[in-house]
Amino acid sequence: MDNAIIIGAGPAGLTAAVTCAEKGLDVVVIDEYMRAGGRLLGQLYEEPNGNWWNGIKESTKLYKKAVDLGVNFHLNTAVNNIENSNGIWTIYTERETFHTPSLLLATGAAEAPVPVPGWTLPGVMSVGAAQVMTNVHRVKPGERGVIIGVNVLSAAIAMELQLAGVEVASLTLPKTNQMTQDAGKPKEVLDSLLHVSHMAPSPFVRYGSKLMKNDFMKKLGVNFYPKKGVKMWDIPIQLRKAVTKIYGEDEVEGVTLATINADGEVVSGSEEHIPVDFVCIAGGLYPLAELAAVAGCPFYLVEELGGYVPLHNERMESPLEGLYVAGNITGIEGAKVAAAQGRTAGLSMAHHAGMDELDGEIKNSIEWTEQTRDNAHIQFHPEIETGRKKILQQWDAYQSNKKRSVVSNSRGGIT
Amino acid sequence: MKEDEMIICRCEEVSYEELKTTAAKYKCSARELKLRTRAGMGYCGGRSCRTMVDKIAATSANDRNRTCVSLKYQPPIRPISFKNLGG
Repeated sequence: MDNAIIIGAGPAGLTAAVTCAEKGLDVVVIDEYMRAGGRLLGQLYEEPNGNWWNGIKESTKLYKKAVDLGVNFHLNTAVNNIENSNGIWTIYTERETFHTPSLLLATGAAEAPVPVPGWTLPGVMSVGAAQVMTNVHRVKPGERGVIIGVNVLSAAIAMELQLAGVEVASLTLPKTNQMTQDAGKPKEVLDSLLHVSHMAPSPFVRYGSKLMKNDFMKKLGVNFYPKKGVKMWDIPIQLRKAVTKIYGEDEVEGVTLATINADGEVVSGSEEHIPVDFVCIAGGLYPLAELAAVAGCPFYLVEELGGYVPLHNERMESPLEGLYVAGNITGIEGAKVAAAQGRTAGLSMAHHAGMDELDGEIKNSIEWTEQTRDNAHIQFHPEIETGRKKILQQWDAYQSNKKRSVVSNSRGGIT
Repeated sequence: MKEDEMIICRCEEVSYEELKTTAAKYKCSARELKLRTRAGMGYCGGRSCRTMVDKIAATSANDRNRTCVSLKYQPPIRPISFKNLGG
């Protein structure tokens, strides 16, 4: 039996582990990847103040700190299932089974797919996979590629690929259909980029926002958006083009790129072939909450947070006794916010383990999380604050419903 | 390859067309769409196609239930070898 178990060794999980260990808890961290750091490992970008944010360095720092504090790591270990019985959580992995009264799910996010004809060919990968290959494994995903899906994440990774000497022939849209929806409509894409413009790590996006203040200008911007696109670090960003097909015999040989109108409809006869040897698809991130679901945790769908999110409060407690959540499982945000949430979760777990007088520290940690959110350079959804409020409202509603049903049940018992 | 022919569920080889026509014919939920076509029921447990099956169904379903995930998750949530499953 361990005092605390943390699933996920990303910024949230590692920070929680350090926090718990500092409070004297025995901590076990489990992660399915062979190296600690999670999505932090792939990050490499220049901050507005000129400093470089190197995810590998940040991960190593956190990991070493945790190891020095005696945190026990089980990497390369996938969790298959979790169960609670009599207040004790059982965690099933392929190798061992663990037990704890206090379990944190810091499982992060997963990438949503963007289906394009030919997307099952070898050489097609998610943009996150290309990032891990390049920045973590130091293997080029190819010599020349195309990224399908224009968003904050794909723009940042395009730049990272460029830094590694991989040519990005185009950052462009998927052809619109029932599954790609707004990701295939130039106006919607431009709109979402403009919302994040003041903090996105991209001069293109920053430049764009000053030009286009209102909807009318945005519409103009899309209509007159140059067919060849706008270049950012020599990468053409083509919002008026869409990939209609990925072609190749046994592997990717190229993509068919077509001109689209402002609503995303293909202009027939405009198709051209772009030879490339790999293709990245960037459908955005959604909270990876499988384990919360198998545990029976209540959920709520909050678009601003990226999808279905397990109910939780500001102390990172879920409605299930001894189950905590932190990081992108609670909504898509940057690594620094995830780490701040991890600290709060760690403190809550220490409190659960019987440590007294932590209320002040927990309160400070919650405030620190909000400050970190306000100062974030990258925001994945423009209405993240609204999303956070929605989930807290749902938490309150859930708690008062529960109280009401407890009261009515006990009344039922008396009569 | 035409758009309709593209594979959405790789494990069970279910095409976009099959999902679209099934959703239109039965006006069904994501769960029903999954059960009718087997999309999302393969060995990966729907890790690749879940969001797409959800979107194809969502456009034909009435209102989405916000309080529970539309396609159930079931353990094991990662593939396990027979050897380890048997102990």
